[in-house]
Amino acid sequence: MNILGKSYVELLGLLNSKKISTKELHEYFSKREKKYNKELNVFLTLAENPGVEGEMPLAYKDNYNTEGIRTTASSKVLDSYISPYDATVVERLKKSKTYVFGKTNLDAWAHGASTETSDYGATKNPWDTSRVPGGSSGGSAAATASYLMPATIGSDTGGSIRCPASWCGVVGLKPTYGRVSRYGVIAMGSSFDCPGPLSWHVEDCALLLSHMAGFDPYDATTSSKPVPAYMEKLNAEKKLKIGIAESFFENVDKEVKKKIEEALEILRKMGHIEKKIKMLNPKHALSAYTILQRSEVSSNLGRYDGIRYGNDRSFFKEEAKKRIMLGTYTLSHGYYDQYYKKAQKVRALIIEDFKKAFDDVDIIIAPSTPSTAVKLGEFKKYPFFGEQMDILNEPANVSGIPSINIPVGLDSKRLPVGMQIMGRQFDEETILNVSYKFQRETNFFNMRETLLKKYHD
Amino acid sequence: MKNKKTLANEEIKHLAKLSALDLTDEEIEKYGDQLSETLDYVENLNELKTATVKEAHSVTESKDVFFEDGAENKRSLKEEIVFRNSKKTKNSQFVVDRILKS
Repeated sequence: MNILGKSYVELLGLLNSKKISTKELHEYFSKREKKYNKELNVFLTLAENPGVEGEMPLAYKDNYNTEGIRTTASSKVLDSYISPYDATVVERLKKSKTYVFGKTNLDAWAHGASTETSDYGATKNPWDTSRVPGGSSGGSAAATASYLMPATIGSDTGGSIRCPASWCGVVGLKPTYGRVSRYGVIAMGSSFDCPGPLSWHVEDCALLLSHMAGFDPYDATTSSKPVPAYMEKLNAEKKLKIGIAESFFENVDKEVKKKIEEALEILRKMGHIEKKIKMLNPKHALSAYTILQRSEVSSNLGRYDGIRYGNDRSFFKEEAKKRIMLGTYTLSHGYYDQYYKKAQKVRALIIEDFKKAFDDVDIIIAPSTPSTAVKLGEFKKYPFFGEQMDILNEPANVSGIPSINIPVGLDSKRLPVGMQIMGRQFDEETILNVSYKFQRETNFFNMRETLLKKYHD
Repeated sequence: MKNKKTLANEEIKHLAKLSALDLTDEEIEKYGDQLSETLDYVENLNELKTATVKEAHSVTESKDVFFEDGAENKRSLKEEIVFRNSKKTKNSQFVVDRILKS
């Protein structure tokens, strides 16, 4: 049977009707891993056990605790750490008939937007292996794009699902903060961290979210709001009012802008209405995010002392060290009001700004990243570059709203352009619905078929 | 971007100490420059008036939750699993370096 490029949902259907077996799937993806992983460097660890018959393979970003399997967060601090338990997301997905196929590369501690800060080497962008895949969930995005996995799980603290999804040309969903449990995901910015799925297909993200989401007694910030049947709502008829804020298009590459405008034209033809809105400049979200995230990092990374597990603090590399120290500074006596408190206040303004905007529109559309994928090594030239690549993603993290990246075509360098669709808090349903309809209308411009010609069986 | 060097080397050394990180002289110099650049960037927050704004401590209006005493904790770990990742244990305890000198 031809498996290449089939959606997770489709493979699951074939598995359930016994037209394909778990063994076949495992062998198929193991073969692809052997063929292409060397070139792309997406997997850090492969699980030893193939799944039980009836289970689907899934790959997780290596910051998810997976029982009995090494979990490194791409840092040598955790080089030999074997997870003693499953993260709630992993536990839930296992109950939904999946098994852990492998663990994917990320920027160490999820600090970055290129996957180059990994202590296990950079992941390469499948569209052009001289370029970065984006980050920090770069391994998950590249594995998805090259179909080394039908779907993967990542995490998004300040764009870490949407940035690599954008640069690798796949669908990546950052849910509402509190929609999915953070328990067992190596903590980075605890008030921002959002687990979410990536795939070539919107329906895969909808299905996986419905399995991942929901209240968890082990994460006090999860919501007890019921989880909607996302799959059933994908086809619902919706005519939406799309908000467009000029401030989200400042300093955006011309070709990226053009692709977004073309996508908007398609959405208008599908019957949606566009409305210009005024929103705070994303640079303020970037600043508030930077201060709050560094503060939370300094606290979360304080636990790594090499006593109970892992290596000692001398194993931290440059990016983690800088973030820990900056966070220590912004939380310290005398600077707390100037930085941390100020950022918390600006966070309140940004939350309010989105609330107001969503009184008027149903979704807000913007580019996911200001440019397409950059060359390996570019990030090192400018210390603040990575953060600035996430400037358009971070407003959604600061305000806790859901946002999805969908591919909208290739630029003249034949690199994917990503568009993000932001929604109201806990309204993943609407952004999945409009993304699904867009996929049906455009087949994402055959980008999957194009790339998989290169990554053939 | 021109650097104001908001963070002096002495301050970087102090932050490293508070963070329990050992830095080389080269690192101290470099991080001082780079972190100053970041602090310069975030100055744009002062363009926004926040005197009457209340800080946001949560994005989704979540409430305090409590775990009941004695409630079953399905996720407590067995002793052997707790110690499996540690390099130095003795009699079911973690071995740590001496802090107080006799």
